[in-house]
Amino acid sequence: MKFKQAFHRLFGSNKQKPAYPQNGMQADKSEMMQKMLTMLSNTQDVELTCDEVFAVLDQFAELAAQGEDVTGLMPLVQHHLDMCADCWDEYKVLESIIQNVA
Amino acid sequence: MDKRTNEEWIADLRAGGDQQAQALEDLRAIILRGLPYAIAGRIAPNSPQSEALVEEIVQETLMRVLEYLDTFEGRSQFTTWAHKIAVRAALTELRRVRWREVPLPEMGMDEEGDASYRELPDRQASPEDQVDRKDMMKRINRIIMEELTEKQRKALMAVAMQGFPLEEAAQRMGMNRNALYKLMHDARLRLKKRMEKEGLTPQQVLSVFEQVGK
Repeated sequence: MKFKQAFHRLFGSNKQKPAYPQNGMQADKSEMMQKMLTMLSNTQDVELTCDEVFAVLDQFAELAAQGEDVTGLMPLVQHHLDMCADCWDEYKVLESIIQNVA
Repeated sequence: MDKRTNEEWIADLRAGGDQQAQALEDLRAIILRGLPYAIAGRIAPNSPQSEALVEEIVQETLMRVLEYLDTFEGRSQFTTWAHKIAVRAALTELRRVRWREVPLPEMGMDEEGDASYRELPDRQASPEDQVDRKDMMKRINRIIMEELTEKQRKALMAVAMQGFPLEEAAQRMGMNRNALYKLMHDARLRLKKRMEKEGLTPQQVLSVFEQVGK
C-alpha cells in the first residue's frame, strides 16, 4: 500500500514532470515557446547550480518532511527545484523515500 | 543494525575490516528499500533489466558514500544523505537508458528569420491571433539568434523547450550538468535583459500565446 501511495505521489501529480520521449515527441512550436517564456519569466539574477542544490537536498527534504517552511528557509533551493526538472525529480523521489522508508 | 546515529555510521564506515563490512551490508539493505521509489514507473520493477540496474546502483552508491564520507556535514540523517546519493545514481542511469536513442534537437534559422523547428497549425486560434503569434515568434527567434551562442541555443532548445533531461543533454554536449545549468542561466538572463531593452517582458509575450483558445 505504501508503495502504491508513493507511486501516485511520484508520478500522479508531478507539477514539472519532464516531457519523456513519446510518439511525435516534438512539441507544438508555440507550446515550446511558452515553456521557454515561462522559464524566462521566472529567471533570477542569482540562482543556485545543481551541485549547490544537491549538497543540501537531504537537509531540504528532511525539513520539508517535518512540515517546515522550506520556501522561506531556503528560497534559492526552492527556486532551483522549480527551474530544474532533473533536480525536481530527484527531490520528489527523495521525499517519497523519507516519507515511506526512512 | 540500521539504527546507528550519524556518528556511529561514520565511525563504522571508517573503521575498516569486519566493522566496516557490516556497516556497508546494513547500508546496502537501507538503499535497497529506497530504490523502488526511484525506479517505479520508469522501468518494470521485476524485470532482469531492473535487477541488474539495482545491483549496479547499489554498488555505485556504496562506493560514492565511502569516497565522499568526509563531505557529510551531519545536517540530515546519514541514511537520508546516502539515499540522496542513490537517487542521483539511479535517475542518472534511468535517464541515460530512456533517452539514449533520442537525438539532441538543433535550433536553426531560415531566411525569413523563423526558427526551423516544426510549426503546427493551431485550429483554436483566430487568424488575427495567429498573425500576432507568428510576428511575436519571429521577433523572439531573432533575439535568440542574435543574443545566444550556438551552444546556448542548443541547450535551450533541448532542455527548456523540449524537456530533454539536463544531465543527458550535458553529457551529449561534452559538459557536466552543473556547467550546463550555468550556461542556460546565463542564456536566460541575456534573453530576459534583451527583451526588457526592447520593451518586452516575458509575461507580455506569454500573454500573446496564452490568449489563444480562451
